[in-house]
Amino acid sequence: MRILIIEDDKDVAAFIRKGLTEAGWTVDHADNGRDGLFLAATESYDALIVDRMLPGVDGLSVIRTLRASNNRTPALVLSALGEVDDRVEGLKAGGDDYLVKPFAFSELHARLEALIRRSASAGAAPATVLEVGDLRMDLLRREVYRGDRKIDLQPREFQLLEFLMRHAGQVVTRTMLLEGVWDYHFDPQTNVIDVHISRLRAKIDRDFATPLLHTVRGAGYRLDTRP
Amino acid sequence: MRLPALFRTTVFQLTLVYMALFGASVLALFTFIYWSTVGYLERQTDEIIEAEIRGLAEQAERRGLVGLANVIDDRVRRDTEGRSVYLLVDAALRPIAGNVTYWPEELDRRGEWVDFVKRDPSGRYTPVRALVLGVGPGFRLLVGRDIRELEQINEVFRRASVWGLGLTMGLSLLGGILIGFSAQRRVAQINRTTRQIIAGNLKERVPVTGAGDEHDELAENVNAMLDQIEKLMAGLRHVGDSVAHDLRGPLTRLRTRLETLASEPTPSRERLEECVAQADALLATFNALLRIARIESGAYKSAFAPVDLGVIARDVCELYQAAADERHIALSCAAPVEAFVVGDRELLAQALTNLLDNAVKYTPDGGRIDVSVEGSRGGTAYVLSVADTGPGIPADERDRMLERFTRLDRSRSLPGNGLGLALVKAVAEQHDARLTLYDHRPGLVVELELPAAEKGAATEKGVRHHFLENGV
Repeated sequence: MRILIIEDDKDVAAFIRKGLTEAGWTVDHADNGRDGLFLAATESYDALIVDRMLPGVDGLSVIRTLRASNNRTPALVLSALGEVDDRVEGLKAGGDDYLVKPFAFSELHARLEALIRRSASAGAAPATVLEVGDLRMDLLRREVYRGDRKIDLQPREFQLLEFLMRHAGQVVTRTMLLEGVWDYHFDPQTNVIDVHISRLRAKIDRDFATPLLHTVRGAGYRLDTRP
Repeated sequence: MRLPALFRTTVFQLTLVYMALFGASVLALFTFIYWSTVGYLERQTDEIIEAEIRGLAEQAERRGLVGLANVIDDRVRRDTEGRSVYLLVDAALRPIAGNVTYWPEELDRRGEWVDFVKRDPSGRYTPVRALVLGVGPGFRLLVGRDIRELEQINEVFRRASVWGLGLTMGLSLLGGILIGFSAQRRVAQINRTTRQIIAGNLKERVPVTGAGDEHDELAENVNAMLDQIEKLMAGLRHVGDSVAHDLRGPLTRLRTRLETLASEPTPSRERLEECVAQADALLATFNALLRIARIESGAYKSAFAPVDLGVIARDVCELYQAAADERHIALSCAAPVEAFVVGDRELLAQALTNLLDNAVKYTPDGGRIDVSVEGSRGGTAYVLSVADTGPGIPADERDRMLERFTRLDRSRSLPGNGLGLALVKAVAEQHDARLTLYDHRPGLVVELELPAAEKGAATEKGVRHHFLENGV
């Protein structure tokens, strides 16, 4: 994976670069909007991390310019503002996701993976069946099977599992779940999401030898055949 | 006050415009009076001269030039006051009859009106208005009138006009300056006060004269604005103090922990992660504070739209259902099919989330929580209520609970930052909602009464929202 960070805060940029490099990704860095725009337009990246406030050309203008020239590289907007209307503005400019500073690296990593995955499968035909190991979700009949056994899920549990299966193998944070399943964009303060997950886990994992739904400490959850 | 400042005032500039208009009207008035008085006299003089010259021309035709000369001499004799002027000259411009001894040089055309100054042999000068007519072969007849009086009247009139106009201008200028001064003085007062406030003296207020004029209204509005600013500043100071006070504790603890860890040769991973968690909790508190501040600033208000409170209630209840089940708390949600209010879906959901969070946290196992949305005030409002069977809040503590960082002593052992209800209060204020806490015997009821959205607004925008929320 090749990532471009457009961020003028050296500490933040170094923090992201270190984390992503450790995860085995290639990272380029531009510390102003003009250089960032130039790099993004001439090189090929899997994703961009763009700070909103940049010297010279601001982050949203960078994304807007790229989108206007038909560059569809997924972009994650970083912002210190972090409010709903800012998010809307960022997404309107052509950003694909929005993350508020300060953030945990695990959150950034999870969201980046989701972005890249989403853009890679953008052209593919919409799946009607999702599969992770022996867990199978039929989206048309809205039925879930593990092996041969049918699992009864509440509508919200179904949505939750669908979100996890679409991001199978990736870390999904609590905030991503609240956004993706409930469509609310504030921080879930307490463990409400955890309780939903543990209920889901009871239904899909309890009676089976290999657990699929794993808790990633300090980050979130991961649905995967590997432990 | 310096004069240049006066010249720049609006009142003064208006005065100048009025002065110009006034001057123009006075000028027009004088012109009319001149035309109807002095002009009348002049026209009368001309008529007399014309009548006389016509009479003399007839005499010349009837009696010939000699006869004419006789008539002229006769008239000159009879005109004792010397008001009339006659002169008959031959082709060589030699005087034949009349009371002018020479042909005035100014007169070289015939049949024309002419003004000239007659010089008497005695050296007296007289202004004359005259008409010249050709009579007989090459002879010319001049008949005129002494217009000294007319000229005097003219002169008097001109002087009166100049003085009158000058006086008008002067008076209106003076009035303008006076009005400008008083207006400028009031505005200067307001400016002085605002400058002092900019300099940091927030106690200062603009004096209100009690005249009830527009300046008083302005002063009152400025004062009301200052009251509001002072209140906000006080609030801000309070928040600042609370933040400093309430964050110092956890920060100090975190620092101590890190210091201890730093002195260990091999710090345990577990202890480090605890530190990160503690820092995260601090950041969460900061974020909550920022969010409350942002809500209070009214930043969300521009995006307010009709939203279905019932859908939000059901959504959030469903989000908390699992958490309540786990503690064997019966969570019920009663909301009508539609309950549209004007507001922000996220904010209302977060407010309800905070209320439910508290309810679940403080209600003992096996208790119950009832969430309901009900129409009130004859359908013009909706009441969102969260009732629990927890320990409740003592009556005298309820107001304080809505402030930032207030936590009851007995809840200090539970996680939380004391900002939950403060956020609910901020959201309520932004939605013009009434927030009340009262006793549920046992337990606490929190009621949020929001004005209902107008019907028309709800059907168009709200229905779309409704569909979005249900994922249709």
